[in-house]
Amino acid sequence: MPGVRDNSHYQFLSKKWTDRHRDLQSKIFANHEEAFKWLADNSKQLVVGSLAGIMLLTSPVLDKIPQSVSSAAAQVKTIDRSVFLVYDLKNALPDQVRALNPDEEKNATEILARDFGFNVTAELEGKRLNTTYGIIGQEQHLARFPGDNMFTHFVASDQADKYWAYGMAPGLGAFGYFTDSSGTLTQKAIDREKYYIVVQTFLAPGYDSNPKAYNDFFKYRRMLVVNPQNGKAIVADIADAGPSPWTGKQLGGSPEVMTYLERVDGAQRGGVLYFFIDDPNDTIPLGPVNL
Amino acid sequence: MKNKFFYTHLIETSDISLKLTEIGLSEDEKTHLTSLVEANIHSTVIDTVLSELSKEDKKIFLRNMVSNNHEKTWEHLRGRIGKAEDKIIKAVEKLKEDLIKDLIEAKKLSKENNS
Repeated sequence: MPGVRDNSHYQFLSKKWTDRHRDLQSKIFANHEEAFKWLADNSKQLVVGSLAGIMLLTSPVLDKIPQSVSSAAAQVKTIDRSVFLVYDLKNALPDQVRALNPDEEKNATEILARDFGFNVTAELEGKRLNTTYGIIGQEQHLARFPGDNMFTHFVASDQADKYWAYGMAPGLGAFGYFTDSSGTLTQKAIDREKYYIVVQTFLAPGYDSNPKAYNDFFKYRRMLVVNPQNGKAIVADIADAGPSPWTGKQLGGSPEVMTYLERVDGAQRGGVLYFFIDDPNDTIPLGPVNL
Repeated sequence: MKNKFFYTHLIETSDISLKLTEIGLSEDEKTHLTSLVEANIHSTVIDTVLSELSKEDKKIFLRNMVSNNHEKTWEHLRGRIGKAEDKIIKAVEKLKEDLIKDLIEAKKLSKENNS
């Protein structure tokens, strides 16, 4: 946005054209609300582009619309932020899920940093994964301590109702238990399992040269994982290594991660972006992040 | 960033751009006002098209737009709206007339303030 200075003809045009556009927007969404709601409801299946286009062009204007202007405008305000993100990512990413080139990575990280307000990066401390854009598969719950099972895993019944069916992985993650016993289970450890992802650490460039250093780096490393088709994003941590390259998948997500991102395994599986979070002071908590 | 829409080839805004350069704006101000022009054009086109379509066709139109398939978008619009291009052009020309009136008014304002 331009800086403030005494320039009345600019101010005149800015106000007049902003007002004009605001009125047009309100009119459009009031007259065709059902069609836009339909699009929003179906955006999980569709690659949103052009509704986002509407929003994209209106970005300098929407910020000036008071929430109270109209319910239609307010509705636009709530929809547009994820739509902006989806639109921008659609233009920054290739049509097929594949490893991004440096320019694509740069564009994607800039978009994510702008929208989420913290720095994300493909490479941290000289280490990077084999890809930052990959197909994500469904993982099971992991045992957090010796003896952890489906009966001990959930505190709240609604969580059990929602996530019980995914079951528990028969073995441990690559980094073992999250804690020694149920008595030492902290919220941090609970969240680490709840929001974990599995990435192909063993395919990281340079991994074979010093597996221990790489494993130490990757263990519980926080990453921003984003579904570029709906803008949903979650801060997850690396708690396991996989999946095998032959699966055609590049990473996996806990039941909670997959549910939040609205990603599924099987024929309908899709891609996510995943970048390291550059947060040396550990200020960004695990879990869903809102725009 | 791709900014090409299904109607881009129908729209000519160089007359407005030229007038914006004539009224003594900073680069930032010019960029901001240009984005407002584009936003107004975009909303005008969307409103024009949606106002001509039935409930179901609105969804088809939005879905086609979502896929960024301009060919499909036009195939659908031409089958549903008579002289679709003409209607879009006419609506945008009307908008541009209003915007140019605003620009003339702004220019006067600028002169008054500087005299």
